[in-house]
Amino acid sequence: MEKLEQYLDQVCRSIGGPRSLRQHVRQELREHLLDAVAQHKAAGMSEEKALDRALEDFGGPEQVRSELEATHGHRLMPVVIDKAMQWKEKTMRARWLWTTWAHCGLVATVAAEVLFITFAVVFIAPRFEMFIREGWIGIDRSEPLIAWVPGFYGFLHWVANSTTWLLLGAIVLWGLFEWRVRGENKTFMRLSAFGTAALLLMVMVTLTGAALVLPVGVGVRALHERAPEAVVSNQLASIDAAVSAADEALAKKDWEAMREHLNQATSSMERLNQMGAAAPTLASMREQPKVDETRTHLKEASDALRQAQQALLDKNSPMLEAAMKRFHQAYGQVRQ
Amino acid sequence: MDTELVKGTLSLLILSLLTRSSMYGYEIAATVHRDTDGEFTWREGSLYPNLHKLQADGLIVGEWEEKETGRKRRYYRITAKGRAALREKVQSWNALRDAVSRILEKSDGKA
Repeated sequence: MEKLEQYLDQVCRSIGGPRSLRQHVRQELREHLLDAVAQHKAAGMSEEKALDRALEDFGGPEQVRSELEATHGHRLMPVVIDKAMQWKEKTMRARWLWTTWAHCGLVATVAAEVLFITFAVVFIAPRFEMFIREGWIGIDRSEPLIAWVPGFYGFLHWVANSTTWLLLGAIVLWGLFEWRVRGENKTFMRLSAFGTAALLLMVMVTLTGAALVLPVGVGVRALHERAPEAVVSNQLASIDAAVSAADEALAKKDWEAMREHLNQATSSMERLNQMGAAAPTLASMREQPKVDETRTHLKEASDALRQAQQALLDKNSPMLEAAMKRFHQAYGQVRQ
Repeated sequence: MDTELVKGTLSLLILSLLTRSSMYGYEIAATVHRDTDGEFTWREGSLYPNLHKLQADGLIVGEWEEKETGRKRRYYRITAKGRAALREKVQSWNALRDAVSRILEKSDGKA
């Protein structure tokens, strides 16, 4: 009677209303069909034929179900599941199409991820590291958000240096898999491997992107806040050292060393030339005490304004007047 | 016989049969088959949505009864509201039958 229960499943599973109603309807239909089977058997039919005849007389499951749903309403989930199962049956007939599509999609994803990481390692990371090395972007190792970045760059370098071996290892593993593994699940195993590789590479892509973006987000504030003298001094020191070494190389007529030192000097000189703050900083560095004094006045003016805001909140008039007076004194010095 | 015609008269047939005594679904189907000498051909599955609709409308009530064999059957009986509805349906059916008969008689031989 498994066939009978399957029929009742098809008819009753999507009827709306409470579970008890579905159970009652199911039992009522079952009793009817059992009565019909008993009558056909009494007329001389085999059990199997009697059941087939009873189901045929009762009507197709879709028709009976739709009539019952018209009376009781229908449940959404079984309808969705039925549609999904029908879709699955249809699509399974074109299995090769879906597996080919899945392979192509995953291979394209893996290739795109490898390209991104390669591009980042070859073109972006070296410039980025130069910015960090020269102090344009500050990496504060006590800042947990970016403390891992230098270590990750080290890992990327290791990957870049080991690319050949890693590729060879992957090719050998793939070759062994294609050669040795047999069975009906081979296609799915290959898809799983590609999917896992795509997932791991996605983690790498995410970390690479984060390693490029986070230091900028966190370090750009340090770049804005830092005194430009240090950067200009660094460039000057680099130029002085390179030019001095170039002079020595000239004296020795060591053209190879000369070219290297001149390149370094030219690079530092161009950087200094392109820096907007370089000229004012060089001018002000001749009067460093005055620059330091101006910075002190700027800080005093800023503190005074903050105190004035607090006094305003407290509605403390004498304190507000005193703070504004301090501000004018400090700011007057700045504006002179 | 045209199953659509049978389907349209099913609630009339059910209410009418239940005036004889309370019956369960298969019994109703078997009685229709027996009383019409098998003239009525229909999908038996259509019976239950009709029974449930009549019950929801309060024209019949259904109750489970357990038999000695252990089988449970849901017996339906007609209510007072159902009897009133049946009278209206019978009148409508008679009027329809007479009207259709008159048209068929006048058109006799012209098919």
